[in-house]
Amino acid sequence: MPVPVVEFSDERLPNGLRLIVAEDHLAPVVAVNLWYNVGSKHEVAGKTGFAHLFEHVMFQGSANVGKAEHMALVQAAGGTLNGTTWLDRTNYYETMPSHQLELALWLEADRMGTLLAALNQENLDNQRDVVKNEKRWSYDNRPYGSWNEKLLGHLFPPGHPYHHPTIGSMEDLDAASVDDVKAFFATWYAPNNAVLSVAGDCERAQVRAWADRYFGPIPANPVIPSLPDMSLPELIGEERREVVEDRVPLARVFFGFRTPVFGDRRFDALDLASQLLAGGKGSRLHRRLVREERLAQDVSIGLLPVIGGASAAIGSVTVRPGVDIAAAEAAYLEELEKLATELPTEDEMARAKALWEADELGALARVEERADRLSAYATLFDDPALINTLLPRYLAVTAEQVRDAARAVFRADNRVVVTYIPRPGDQPADVADDEEAA
Amino acid sequence: MSGRAGMITQRPVPGHPRPYEFPATIRTSLANGLRVMVTPMPGRALVAASLSLRTGAVDEPSEIGGATVLAARALTEGTEVRDAIALTEAAERLGASLHAESGWDATSVSLDVPATRLEPAMDLLAEVVRRPAFPGSEVERLRDERLTDLLQARADPRRRADEAYVSSIYAPVSPYHRPAGGAADTVEALTATDLRRIHASAYVPERAALVVAGDVDPEAVLRVAEALFGDWEASGSGATAVIDDTSAVTDRFIRVVHRPGAVQTEVRIGHPGLRRLHPDYHAVSVMGAILGGLFNSRLNMKLREEKGYTYGASAGFDLRRARGPFTARAAVNTDATVPALGEFLVELDRIREGLVTDPEINAARDYLVGVFPLRFETPGPVAGSLAGLFVHGLPDDELARYRTAIEAVTPDDVLRVARDHIHPERAAIVLVGDHDEFGEALAAAGIAPIDVQVDADPATAA
Repeated sequence: MPVPVVEFSDERLPNGLRLIVAEDHLAPVVAVNLWYNVGSKHEVAGKTGFAHLFEHVMFQGSANVGKAEHMALVQAAGGTLNGTTWLDRTNYYETMPSHQLELALWLEADRMGTLLAALNQENLDNQRDVVKNEKRWSYDNRPYGSWNEKLLGHLFPPGHPYHHPTIGSMEDLDAASVDDVKAFFATWYAPNNAVLSVAGDCERAQVRAWADRYFGPIPANPVIPSLPDMSLPELIGEERREVVEDRVPLARVFFGFRTPVFGDRRFDALDLASQLLAGGKGSRLHRRLVREERLAQDVSIGLLPVIGGASAAIGSVTVRPGVDIAAAEAAYLEELEKLATELPTEDEMARAKALWEADELGALARVEERADRLSAYATLFDDPALINTLLPRYLAVTAEQVRDAARAVFRADNRVVVTYIPRPGDQPADVADDEEAA
Repeated sequence: MSGRAGMITQRPVPGHPRPYEFPATIRTSLANGLRVMVTPMPGRALVAASLSLRTGAVDEPSEIGGATVLAARALTEGTEVRDAIALTEAAERLGASLHAESGWDATSVSLDVPATRLEPAMDLLAEVVRRPAFPGSEVERLRDERLTDLLQARADPRRRADEAYVSSIYAPVSPYHRPAGGAADTVEALTATDLRRIHASAYVPERAALVVAGDVDPEAVLRVAEALFGDWEASGSGATAVIDDTSAVTDRFIRVVHRPGAVQTEVRIGHPGLRRLHPDYHAVSVMGAILGGLFNSRLNMKLREEKGYTYGASAGFDLRRARGPFTARAAVNTDATVPALGEFLVELDRIREGLVTDPEINAARDYLVGVFPLRFETPGPVAGSLAGLFVHGLPDDELARYRTAIEAVTPDDVLRVARDHIHPERAAIVLVGDHDEFGEALAAAGIAPIDVQVDADPATAA
């Protein structure tokens, strides 16, 4: 079943703001999605976590919008919204009943144009506390919560922009000042560093007129800094291992492999490889480690879709009670090596692609996802048409490409192995099922 | 405040809303009692189909607690026709994802599949519902995975808090006292025979509804439904037993689960709430949004946006076939535990003491009414809502009249339902965190009697 083609317009306002509009009148809803080309990779030493802290500040009001009023106005209009920060970018989005589109555009423009008019120390301090609690909640007070930081730290060398996680460190968050926020805003939050996508029940010409009216007066920043060179050797060059004691009842082994970046055809092949390895019950890792040999409680593998120098495949196996950690790790790695040496079957490839196509059909049915993809592909690749061309590219990946990509990446001298083991006292002394303890 | 030259300072006024109605649904029943609902949604090529049963963890005998959830998981582990792998592969070849699960109230087998392959995928769905094999070795594996999952739940502060909370607010005689997936003492004894018993007694057409939404031809779907389920034998009874939702909370009390070194305290406050069929449903929805549902709810504005104690504070009612929990919740930094508790209690009292303001009630009503079309953009949520109506025995026009009913809620209604359904003076307060850090301040605050427990080694706790 072919996935429907998304028709869209793609233009720029005089101040550089890129505007993409994809009309679709099936439901009376419309999505606004604004990507700023700034993420944690733009942070410098001593200021980690800043892009994300700044995202919080964006909800603290602007010249014509009070603290937290952005949320209030969108919700009272029957809309939903959020903002997210990641390694490569920061985005803000609203999904609205279609007759409320203009409000969302005005709100986004007001903060892009006038955020600093409302910025004060009290709001910054408040959101710093909120973000510190977000860090505690999402990482520090969670079993295995440090895995992301550990893997990134090993996969990317010190000084590389992906070396540190988006959430940053408590020390750097503490050090953030109002002046830092002002400088960050002036540097990155400019119309010529953003892509505005609108998808759903709207009229292109009307959207353009509103964009001109609300975003038009915001001046461009003629000097957006360029990133340092992010290129890296294709391989890590050694196996890196770390053992972490944590308050967990089960050991879990995390794996990281350095890979080509998102956008590279080899990344497509590795994405498909991940599906063959751990995409559902019929996948290789699940079948062997969870079902047949019962070494694992769960398994996973997936790719980081990032574009700066190198990306990564990240996987894990949670080791069942009483099972030798080394045995679970060995079985996991064997399956990766098998994919690197033997061609996947035609049936496996066909199943993975059928699922992929159906997932895409479901994802693109939602205007929020369409708007996000358009902004993403425009920001990362200057190619919003990937919304239509990426899937055919994936469907064209061959068994040989999967094997070759796996062979190039799943190597001992290109992997990170971080093993979480129960802290003394947190280990189950006796397993739940005696007969399998042997 | 100063702005920037040329910026438009005036807020846009909304345009004319495009009329929206919940999509028209064809409803019928087969001779054996199976309800069939089909919602054509032109242009929605990924179709959602589900077979929902009005049977959940509340309906199982307590001595086999966990059997219903395990039975649902085992449905896709093999049928009389093929084993789990063959089943998964058959679904994948169709680009179909087939998923079975049970919760407190219901069991559902659901399917997302491109419209062109709906029919063969529904074949698989029917096979899983009607002819599961419950292979002994797979059931054993699932049981062990559940036991292991319970070990992990104890190590995760939020799951530990949820579990300690429900066991604090419901009497042991109530099924809600334990997790829906069962506790270790009953799960470890479960066998394939128990699951077959659940399947034989509860998977009957009188308790079931088949819902299909998406770009489909209703006539064709009805034909398929008849072909796949027409000969499903009626059991003669679709009745479900009365659910015991006895509260364990008579006075306010604090239960602390001590976790040395925890950097946050997981907070849960509340008591049994109300059932989905309660006539106060719409007023409670508005009240819940104001108290702890919206981003700008009283709790979130106070604890997050003013105090910075948490990444998010909320409150809400879990509306089940019987009285599910009312819970106010947040994870707060350890230092803020006692002051945060104070703020929670202030807000739980305040919503009962005075009328909400016009801006508050307008924001809540406008949100609930306005977000309605967003909720039903794609087939999955449409099918899910229709299945929900069936499970709760709600009338066919429930969704059609939802917005009118919400718009009719007044500040007086909000005050009345807050007084009737929120009881801070007889609420359980459950804290999972570092008692060494906040214990002294907590005792000094004199909020309620305190009981501190230290988790045993997971080895013995499991």
